[in-house]
Amino acid sequence: MRPLILLVDDDRDFLEMNRGILEAQGFRVDCFTDTDKAWDSLKSRRPDLVITDLMMKSLDSGFSLARKIKSDSRYEDVPVIIVTAVASKRGFDFNPQSREDLEVMGCQAYFDKPVSPELLIAKVKELLS
Amino acid sequence: MNEEELRILVVDDELGIREGCRKILTEEGFEVTTAGDGVEALEVFDGTKKYSVALVDLMMPRLGGLELIGKLRELDPDLLLIIITAYATIDTAVEGTKRGAYSYIPKPFTPDELMLTIRNGLERQALALEAKRLREERERRLLEVASERSRCGTILKCITDGLLVINLEKLVVLRNNAAARILPKASKLNVPFSIATLEDPKIEQLINEILEGDPGPRIVSRELNIGKSTFMVNISPVIEPTGETSGAVAVFRDITELKKLETAKSMFVSMVAHELKSPLAATEGWLNLLLTGLVKDNPKEARHVIERCHIRVKTLRTLVSELLSITAIETGNFQLRRSNVDVAAIAQRAVEAAGEKAQSRTIDLSLNELKLGKAKTALADEEALLLIFSNLIDNAIKYTPQGGTVMVQLDQNGMYMSLSVRDNGVGIKAEEMDKIFDEFYRIKNEDTVDIPGTGLGLSLVKRLVELHQGRIEAQSTPGSGSVFTVKIPLS
Repeated sequence: MRPLILLVDDDRDFLEMNRGILEAQGFRVDCFTDTDKAWDSLKSRRPDLVITDLMMKSLDSGFSLARKIKSDSRYEDVPVIIVTAVASKRGFDFNPQSREDLEVMGCQAYFDKPVSPELLIAKVKELLS
Repeated sequence: MNEEELRILVVDDELGIREGCRKILTEEGFEVTTAGDGVEALEVFDGTKKYSVALVDLMMPRLGGLELIGKLRELDPDLLLIIITAYATIDTAVEGTKRGAYSYIPKPFTPDELMLTIRNGLERQALALEAKRLREERERRLLEVASERSRCGTILKCITDGLLVINLEKLVVLRNNAAARILPKASKLNVPFSIATLEDPKIEQLINEILEGDPGPRIVSRELNIGKSTFMVNISPVIEPTGETSGAVAVFRDITELKKLETAKSMFVSMVAHELKSPLAATEGWLNLLLTGLVKDNPKEARHVIERCHIRVKTLRTLVSELLSITAIETGNFQLRRSNVDVAAIAQRAVEAAGEKAQSRTIDLSLNELKLGKAKTALADEEALLLIFSNLIDNAIKYTPQGGTVMVQLDQNGMYMSLSVRDNGVGIKAEEMDKIFDEFYRIKNEDTVDIPGTGLGLSLVKRLVELHQGRIEAQSTPGSGSVFTVKIPLS
């Protein structure tokens, strides 16, 4: 079965363009605009990878979702990619510098919006292999 | 005092003595008045003329010399009183000096004896007057200094900034009430106390920088957190007139509220950056796909991408102009250009402007006017009013599904005109109701993900309404619609 990717973003353009990019690579894609519904869907359709926006309903919706996934034994091995337009929070640069930073954030990769299709596809393939 | 101006009162019942004295004293340059007894003397001594000297005989009819001396002394404490008396009454004369007479001259006396006694007396009187003047001046100055000190003390006490004065031995020699409040250790200590007992190495270090640094005026400033508050601490040297440093003054200003504002401001800037970046990133993303050929080579799909870019760019432009308006209102640079505005006509224009948008989404948009009567003008800014109405109508159309209805109703409510926009759209949850007027707050769920917006529209509307001394209210039932009502005072 083709890998299932869960896309979470409150911006319909990013959902649409990333769905297009990923489906063109042969992935199945589920789209959600809020993290609660995305979380609920995990039980019935376990994804192979999650790509989530950061700032949605709250400043750190994406982090909360990533933490929830990583602290649940059923999903802890599902890779999470955070893609965001958050430049900084109170002057603090959000861009993670190291693998440890990513671990703290509960994700395996972090991209600034818009992420180039090549980079995204390469990272998705790397994490799924 | 010039002798020519000196006035002498001669009181004696013997005419010979009176006139003799007059002759001698007039020749010496005094102005002389005479009286035959005590009663007459008191009549002369009525305060209209200032006398420097009084020569008083003791044995007189009606009012005796001793009694007269007592009364004259009471009337003028500075008067030089000299007794002229016969040998027989010398004991009485001594009694007279006890009552305030300066001296006595036994009769008969020579002109020289008289003048010597008067001159000695005047000299002593002058010294006494000078001493009195100096004493009074000193007392006045002491009083001034005392009140100046207490005034300074009061000012220092009442000043809201904390104040410490530290001497070269690093002892705190003065701390005001605010400093006692700010530095909990300082409140329990009486001055002088060592700066070390404050147990705050940072403050100690700053004070050392001043006390041990180069002499001359300078200032060290640091932000320090003390307890839950943040203070700007400014320390400068106390410089004596000789140029030497004799200590340091530390001023603690509470900047906690300023810091909160600063945080809120940088938070706002982050939000703005995010809101500007999102539509830009989306547009860039779409353009990337076009450029890299990932969008399939068909005109329909390319057009869709361009339409999406167009929508995002338009939202971005609206965002920037709303942001500028909000900033102008916040900084007080936004001036309403008020005139008597026909409210119904503005509502009509707003509805017409939204007509096309409503039609494209098959939304039934209507305008009803109720009992507006004659009182339908408001003293308002026409452009601002149009922006308020248009924003509410646009929102209603955006958040109502295809085929819905949006009803605009104008009404009069006492001194207010009210415009309500009622839709049967997605509605607003109770917990989101408080936030919808906040900057950048947008209701985000599956129903709204396709709806473009800046998150500033309602915030701007609320500010504009409030500039008009008006009110805006919202009511909603999730799933069945919302009503936004604006009330603006009628002219």
